[in-house]
Amino acid sequence: MKRPLNILLTVLLLLGLGFGIYVSVRGQFSARSVVTVRGVIGSEKEDFFRDPEVVAALLKRQFRVEYVKAGSREIAGRDLNGLDFAFPAGVPAADALKKRVKPQQTYDVFYTPVVVASFQPILKILEQNNLAKTQGSYGTLDMQALLRVMEAGTRWTALKGSAAYPSSRSVLVSTTDVRKSNSAAMYLALVSSILNGGQVAQASDLDQNFTSPNGLQEGTQGTLMPQVAPLFLRQGYQESSSAGPFEDYQALGAGKTPLVNIYESQFLAAAREKTLPQGAVLLYPQPGIFTKHVLIPLTPAGARLGEALTSDPELQRLAARAGYRTRDASLFMAQVKAAGVSVPASILDTADLPSQEVMEAMIGNIEAQYPK
Amino acid sequence: MRLLPALLLPLLLAACTKPETALTVLGGSELADLKPILEDVAKSTGVKLDITYTGTLDGTEQLLTGPASGQAAPDLVWFSSARYLQLQGGLKGRLLASEKIMLSPVVLGVKASDAKKWGWSSGKVSWKDVAARAASGELKYGMTNPAASNSGLSALIGVVAALSGKGDAITASDVTAPELKGFFRGQALTAGSSGWLAEAYVRDQAKLNGLINYESVLLSLNAGGKLNEPLTLVYPEDGLITADYPLLLLNKDRQPEYAKLVAALRSPDIQRRIMNETRRRPVNPAVALSSAFPAGLNIELPFPGSAEAVNAVLTAYLQDTRRPANTIFVLDTSGSMGGERMASLKAALLGLSGTDTSLTGRYAGFASRERVTFIPFSSDVNPAQTTEIGAGDKAAALSQLSQQVTALSPGGGTNIYGALQAAYTQAGQAPAGRYTSIVLMTDGESNEGPSAREFEDFYNGLPAAAKAVKTFTILFGDGSKDAMNQIATLTGGRTFDGTKDLQGAFKQIRGYQ
Repeated sequence: MKRPLNILLTVLLLLGLGFGIYVSVRGQFSARSVVTVRGVIGSEKEDFFRDPEVVAALLKRQFRVEYVKAGSREIAGRDLNGLDFAFPAGVPAADALKKRVKPQQTYDVFYTPVVVASFQPILKILEQNNLAKTQGSYGTLDMQALLRVMEAGTRWTALKGSAAYPSSRSVLVSTTDVRKSNSAAMYLALVSSILNGGQVAQASDLDQNFTSPNGLQEGTQGTLMPQVAPLFLRQGYQESSSAGPFEDYQALGAGKTPLVNIYESQFLAAAREKTLPQGAVLLYPQPGIFTKHVLIPLTPAGARLGEALTSDPELQRLAARAGYRTRDASLFMAQVKAAGVSVPASILDTADLPSQEVMEAMIGNIEAQYPK
Repeated sequence: MRLLPALLLPLLLAACTKPETALTVLGGSELADLKPILEDVAKSTGVKLDITYTGTLDGTEQLLTGPASGQAAPDLVWFSSARYLQLQGGLKGRLLASEKIMLSPVVLGVKASDAKKWGWSSGKVSWKDVAARAASGELKYGMTNPAASNSGLSALIGVVAALSGKGDAITASDVTAPELKGFFRGQALTAGSSGWLAEAYVRDQAKLNGLINYESVLLSLNAGGKLNEPLTLVYPEDGLITADYPLLLLNKDRQPEYAKLVAALRSPDIQRRIMNETRRRPVNPAVALSSAFPAGLNIELPFPGSAEAVNAVLTAYLQDTRRPANTIFVLDTSGSMGGERMASLKAALLGLSGTDTSLTGRYAGFASRERVTFIPFSSDVNPAQTTEIGAGDKAAALSQLSQQVTALSPGGGTNIYGALQAAYTQAGQAPAGRYTSIVLMTDGESNEGPSAREFEDFYNGLPAAAKAVKTFTILFGDGSKDAMNQIATLTGGRTFDGTKDLQGAFKQIRGYQ
């Protein structure tokens, strides 16, 4: 009785082994025509490039993408030897790279607005204080009014209707570390332009004869930065994980981060994965600001990847599914609807970005004021 | 029987495709309760964790100074909080990734009857209320030493932030709220680790009203069946600080294993097990909080943005706001202590008197307002030498202590229990309001003076105040482990192993003083 079973098991095992070898060899043969392209990407896009469907869609176009992650601000300055493309977040980083490598063409693959994630009870309080408005299932934030409240150091308990959120902490938007991350830099671009009277900050708005308290920086003070820098410095300890304070928003909720500056794409991706906290709501700052994700090719293979990411309908659909706004707005809106969220189809009132040099000078100014 | 090879083969193949890699981890001792979960994660991911347990500040120092020669730096770091670590400029660029694994706020547990009496059962309690009850002497609580343990540091930062009245993160200039001293007047028990604090609370619960610890530890105490009265968990409305247990990657070559590990630990199944078995909250929002946790809104206080500010808070606590310590060192100077042993004892005590300028040494050193007594003994018990360190400049007092240490000289027998009796007599005469503890360092077995039995009778006959003083024993040289444990157990103290690192043992005990 035992022998036939023994033989059967052995046969099954051999069959299984043979099939495994077949699959693996076949994979290697078909892989020959596939080109491996290597690049450096802003860490926020890792989820997109790791998505198995994106990997498959790229493979269909004969690409295998290998990447290293880096902060978008860091990408502009790093060694690009042996890479086919760079894919930072934000136009400032893309501009700096363009100046350096002078590509024939660049690719605006997708974009996403910078938004503020919050909670329904918080939105209600903001609304009662004329700081926000509910628009269907999302809200809009009056940034000018909110900045006045934040600059004055107003506490939540001092706002009308704060019983639902009796926190004696100051009203402040949590951001990632502006020294490291693009989403915080976008917030910096936005608030600097509003505090500059609606004018994009220029080098002339920053004083040239300034020495920071810790002596690290000279130059770039003026009247603008003393208003802008505290919005970052007053936050205290800032998360250094890739997800930054959005992770706190998801895990710890309103008690830790009543208002958190994020990319719209992060929120939409979380909505699709059903990892939003209870009562989560998106607030659109007015004016708002966009982050474009621009691919800078460094080799012809990198250019072909940029072309594929921009024009392949399947890849654009997957980008929309990952929460990014694509050239074809209907593609994006369909994916948002599938995730069970509603967002504005277009964002009209937007602030422009300062030049890369001014951005660097502003970040440098804040960096110089961090205590050691 | 022939079936066996056929059955084994697939198993062997499976084992080949998933070889177990071991990653080295520098981790907090409170991770010990994750052991069964981590074993299952190792089975499913093939990634095993080899954890070396240490305190947060100790671990930070180890990372800053680098591994001992011949040892590799750990692949991962896993403490209940990495905020202090992340603020160290010296570690810039070395912490490659950080992912939170689980959550536990640091809160106050108060005996249910007290909570009811003070109207704390139904929420709406602020740190100011807690400080007032402590200042009036009604609330006696346990809390770990903030320089040794993260739960104490989180509580301290939270209390300072809440009492500062500031809406933003505190800075180095915010550390002196007048209520702070009142708050710490109620600290009747301290410890170098959160786990030991919980054990000590169980032993001393009749004399205390509660303790500050992780929510997970307090919920476990309530479920553990060792409390005479359950604890009501108080979540101060002006805010608290939550431990988020981030797993940090140090070794870039271990990125793939790290990613696998994080994915497994944050998977809904493991998150649910962490919640149910260790009573920590999940970080994965896909896992709903069970009814074992209160559902209310917990306002989180901002953590300072610089190491400078944290250091200022710690220094102010140790030198200025904590209950001043009354520390009695019972020091063996018998003949066997000659040579290298005496040299290492002197080095350890001189380190506490100011020569150890390392990160941990700075916080372990004798503090302003501390009262330090040396009782050297051999066959006889020498007269106690007491030094009062004033509130101002410490230099004169520290130099006096250094001279007393330098003057120690070996010779004679070992009268352990006679010396301990002298220490307890001394402890009974301590000025009120001080936190008194005894350290016993001996390198041999008692061969003169009273017996262990006689000491026990003496101890049991002491008045309550003296009996409450704990003795921390150091195992050294040819000292008897049993005798040291017996003294520690009798008095509610703890034994520390100084055989390999005497200075390290003295510094660790400082967390319990």
